[in-house]
Amino acid sequence: MLQERHPLKGHRISLAEGVSLVIHDAEDSSRFNLRIAPENLGAASKAFGCELLATIGATATSGGRLALCLGPDEWQLYAPLAESRSIETTFAALYASCPHSLVDVGHREIGIAVEGAAAVLALRSACAFDFDTMPSGTGTRTIFDKAQIILIRHDENRFRIEVWRSFADHVWGLLQAASREIALGI
Amino acid sequence: MSTYRVSGKGRVDHNRPVRFTFNGENFEGRQGDTLASALLANGVHLIGRSFKYHRPRGFLSAGSEEPNALVGVNRGVGRAEPNTRATVLEIFDGLNTVSQNHWPSLKRDVGAINDPLYMLFSAGFYYKTFMWPKSFWNKVYEPIIRGAAGLGKSPAVPDPDTYASRYAHCDVLVVGSGPAGLVAALEAGKSGAKVILVDESPEFGGSLLGEPDAEINHLSAWDWLLETNAALAAMKNVTLLNRTTAIGYYHQNFVGLCQRLTDHLSELPDGAPRERLWKVRAKQVVLAQGSIEKPLVFDGNDRPGVMLAGSARVYLNRYGVKVGNLPVVVTSHDSAWLAAFDMAQAGAKVAAIVDIRARVPNYFVKRARALGIETLCGWTISGTKGRHRVTSVRVNPVSAGGHVGPARTIACDALLMSGGWTPSVHLFSHTKGKLDWNDERQMFLPGARTEDSRCAGAGNGKFGLEESLMEGASAGAAAAIDAGFSASAGSYSVEGEVLCIGASNRELPSDGSASWAKAFVDFQNDVTAKDIRLAVREGFKSIEHIKRYTTTGMATDQGKTSNMNGLSIASDAVKRPSPSVGLTTFRPPYTPTTFGAFAGYNRGDLFEVTRKTAIDSWAEEKGAVYEPVSLWRRAWYFSKQGEDMHQAVARECRATRQSLGMFDASTLGKIEIVGPDAAEFMNRMYTNAWTKLAPGRLRYGLLLGEDGFIRDDGVIGRLSTDRFHVTTTTGGAARVLAMMEDYLQTEWPDLKVWLTSTTEQWAVIALNGPNARKLIEPLVEGIDLANEAFPHMSVAEGRICGVPTRLFRVSFTGELGFEVNVPARYGRAVWEALYDAGRKYGITPYGTETMHVLRAEKGYIIVGQDTDGTVTPEDASLAWAIGKTKPDFVGKRSLTRPDMLMADRKQLVGLLTSDPKTVLEEGAQIVLDPNQKVPMKMVGHVTSSYWSETLGRSIALAIVEGGRAKEGQTVHVPMPDKTHSAEIVGMVFVDPENKRLNV
Repeated sequence: MLQERHPLKGHRISLAEGVSLVIHDAEDSSRFNLRIAPENLGAASKAFGCELLATIGATATSGGRLALCLGPDEWQLYAPLAESRSIETTFAALYASCPHSLVDVGHREIGIAVEGAAAVLALRSACAFDFDTMPSGTGTRTIFDKAQIILIRHDENRFRIEVWRSFADHVWGLLQAASREIALGI
Repeated sequence: MSTYRVSGKGRVDHNRPVRFTFNGENFEGRQGDTLASALLANGVHLIGRSFKYHRPRGFLSAGSEEPNALVGVNRGVGRAEPNTRATVLEIFDGLNTVSQNHWPSLKRDVGAINDPLYMLFSAGFYYKTFMWPKSFWNKVYEPIIRGAAGLGKSPAVPDPDTYASRYAHCDVLVVGSGPAGLVAALEAGKSGAKVILVDESPEFGGSLLGEPDAEINHLSAWDWLLETNAALAAMKNVTLLNRTTAIGYYHQNFVGLCQRLTDHLSELPDGAPRERLWKVRAKQVVLAQGSIEKPLVFDGNDRPGVMLAGSARVYLNRYGVKVGNLPVVVTSHDSAWLAAFDMAQAGAKVAAIVDIRARVPNYFVKRARALGIETLCGWTISGTKGRHRVTSVRVNPVSAGGHVGPARTIACDALLMSGGWTPSVHLFSHTKGKLDWNDERQMFLPGARTEDSRCAGAGNGKFGLEESLMEGASAGAAAAIDAGFSASAGSYSVEGEVLCIGASNRELPSDGSASWAKAFVDFQNDVTAKDIRLAVREGFKSIEHIKRYTTTGMATDQGKTSNMNGLSIASDAVKRPSPSVGLTTFRPPYTPTTFGAFAGYNRGDLFEVTRKTAIDSWAEEKGAVYEPVSLWRRAWYFSKQGEDMHQAVARECRATRQSLGMFDASTLGKIEIVGPDAAEFMNRMYTNAWTKLAPGRLRYGLLLGEDGFIRDDGVIGRLSTDRFHVTTTTGGAARVLAMMEDYLQTEWPDLKVWLTSTTEQWAVIALNGPNARKLIEPLVEGIDLANEAFPHMSVAEGRICGVPTRLFRVSFTGELGFEVNVPARYGRAVWEALYDAGRKYGITPYGTETMHVLRAEKGYIIVGQDTDGTVTPEDASLAWAIGKTKPDFVGKRSLTRPDMLMADRKQLVGLLTSDPKTVLEEGAQIVLDPNQKVPMKMVGHVTSSYWSETLGRSIALAIVEGGRAKEGQTVHVPMPDKTHSAEIVGMVFVDPENKRLNV
């Protein structure tokens, strides 16, 4: 197999001691965009092996898989890299009874982890989202400067940005600029 | 230090001297000084030259409303800033400042020749003077006027500073930290609401910083400030932003704040941003912007040393600086008396208090006499003297009947004036909140609000300290309640407060001729009372017209000190009440704001997103020249050994037609369309018929708008009955997906089909040329590539170089072609593997220019280049792509409108110039008869034009009225060098039989 190239592989922003902010490339995963009628959610949850919640923004995790509800009929599915094929096969078997669209977007996006007590501050440099209204364990599609991102809040100070690969450099550059002022405490 | 610094007074640190320069001269100030207070402490009043007449000017105010004292600040290369207001510029060790708008020096300025000639420079001067001869305008008048316009020198090199941005949400945003704002923030903060308090000053306190003697809740004002600020700082839910100006108030309580982070520091921390633009969404806003003092309008009111009385009081009490030792006060408002008393108590000899009003409250007159100050009530001021600083004033008694008596001259070294106070309603005005005219008080006050906002304190007409505190407290509590918290306002009392009142004036009465008086209304734009009256005499009745004709209120201060005086003079001149003459509109930003703050992080590499493909880094290593295509950068051509673009493109074209070329097509938009109704959806969106397209086959798809004009195109593959792989143009990717989603969600929600963007999932490598199949045959697994098994316009899934691929057999060059789609992260590796394997065929990477040439040789259009939003399929000779038997598709009905069927519509055709070496300019106009009179009738234009290496001559595509019927005719293309002739031909220049495709 040929070499894969990840735009942000090995990138890391880690500030001087005393400032709690670490930004790095997130561990890669398989990603699928699933579109399915809400009445077939049960079947889809079973196929994915992780509950697909019907509340927009809600996430559910199980066995290393994560499902984020992005819209009334849209879910973003994450799973360990090696499980990509089996997920496709399982959903293909479901298609006849529950028509849906499962599209592999694993290479479309890059994950960036933003972690630490200053994580929200770093994100607020370019994200108009009101973080006070974002509970842990939720996600949303939003805008970071000029890039569309999916933002997942794992817990209070742990976020993951998912961004299309050609926008990743721009998002990274902004996070770098914002982290400089956070490091200076200014 | 001079006799002007009052030791022990003010909030500056008298033990910390600060050294700075002004016009190259060394000065010393105190930590906490502004440039204005530090210069005044050194007895310097002359700070600049006025805009039009180059008159010597001093400090008018002590705040951000300052119209006169604009200076240049120089912090080294790229850090030169013009027009900084000296009254808010904090000094630091090493600060380097210069005055502006003079030559050769501040004290001797040849531009002052304009001053005695001022009769020539009245309102509308430019319009009247530079009318004739007309031909002089472009070459003579405009360059001279432009040369004379503007204040200060704009920076000539890029700004080395960085700028930051931050979004914030809060429950209550309080603008202004005077008494009303402070208690509003305090009351809202106590409720637990998330509060942001902003003030443009380095210190919170507003007017209280200049009023140490007031007593609030039995504490001296400054002790109360200390306590209140400490209470606010202790609240975790309160964010305090000093040195931060609320610059604009936008829809739905969105407020822009500009925070100055490092301008006040003598050492700039490495990498620190200079300013930060906060973008705040507040549930509730409390505006406590305070008020601005009005100057009086009289002859010579702009001389250095003539200053607002309240500002003199601020310099004394906040900065410990007497602005003069022998001041005269002239006023129509009680508050200026307090300035006189403070000055006298600080040791100045107040020569006189001149009050325009005949009657002044006894309290003030008594106190003045006790301090030994002469009082002249019912007097006016008719002139001032002094070249670079006022040395005397001319005052006259005014009888009850209005008669101005004989003048008396009083020597002075400062003249402190007050025409009353104007509530600052700027931010309220940004919201289009209604302003109500209060006739008795002669002022506009905030009326009905349009946003969730409240005005409090002097900005709402509550000039008394106690009423201001009470209003601030209830506004803060009410805002918290409206934001969902429970709060009740605390109580605030002020001991022995003297309420100040005053009368409003126009130009002050004088015994001199009004037509000679230089009585300034707008100090920054040099507009006098006479100019405004002249504008009215010349027929301007609305303040909006008077403003533009005289330029009053149009300077960078937006008329903060001049608007009300201008309005009252205008309303007197048109003999209509003020509100019917109108108030001009305040617009953001409230005070001048740097471009850097607005740009924020978006400069340099972060100016705009630059999208790069997975293969881009390879092209960069090979020295590709790039061109921007929407947000992408794409390899334009690959230059080898000093080739110019023409040579490189010719080589790339030759190689592709003769053997093998490779091209990064990853930027093409891609949409995966999946579901039982996928084919039906495709039938409705695209002009083509899709039902019968077999899985494994491709089709060229044409997308129209509802209007029937071409919007986008692309090759579409059917992967299975229910799954399509759609490609769009690079620039159209996002809008095609949006258009499809729009139809799907609003018109056909019943269809079971879903759309997903896969543009970035796939890297796409286009291989074109006679050797394309030979190259990939050994590398592909699972796909039979024989021409019969995998003919032109086929798609199959398999593997290439060991990674999964969607392989398209398709061509945008007319040669045997394949497009290799692989998951993006394998893009570069697969590209390199193909490149290595292709060396034996002389594989040649090519860029977008060669792609454009090769496709034009085949007559393949590029949407957006050969179409312009008014081209139908028929116009582009693409009618074959319309499924004639389909009941409907987007744009179908429009195609049968009568004007869409006319024979003389502009149609796409080919052009061959009669001189084969001539490459026409793209965009050049086309005429039928080159001997017509100018302006000629233009019948179309060139859309694409290239040198065709294959044909050894130039080719072009053009849209021409009734073009197809004119095939064989000669048209003419005027270009800058000469008019070229060209023959109209078909659109396909190379291999019209498609023999090269189907091998």
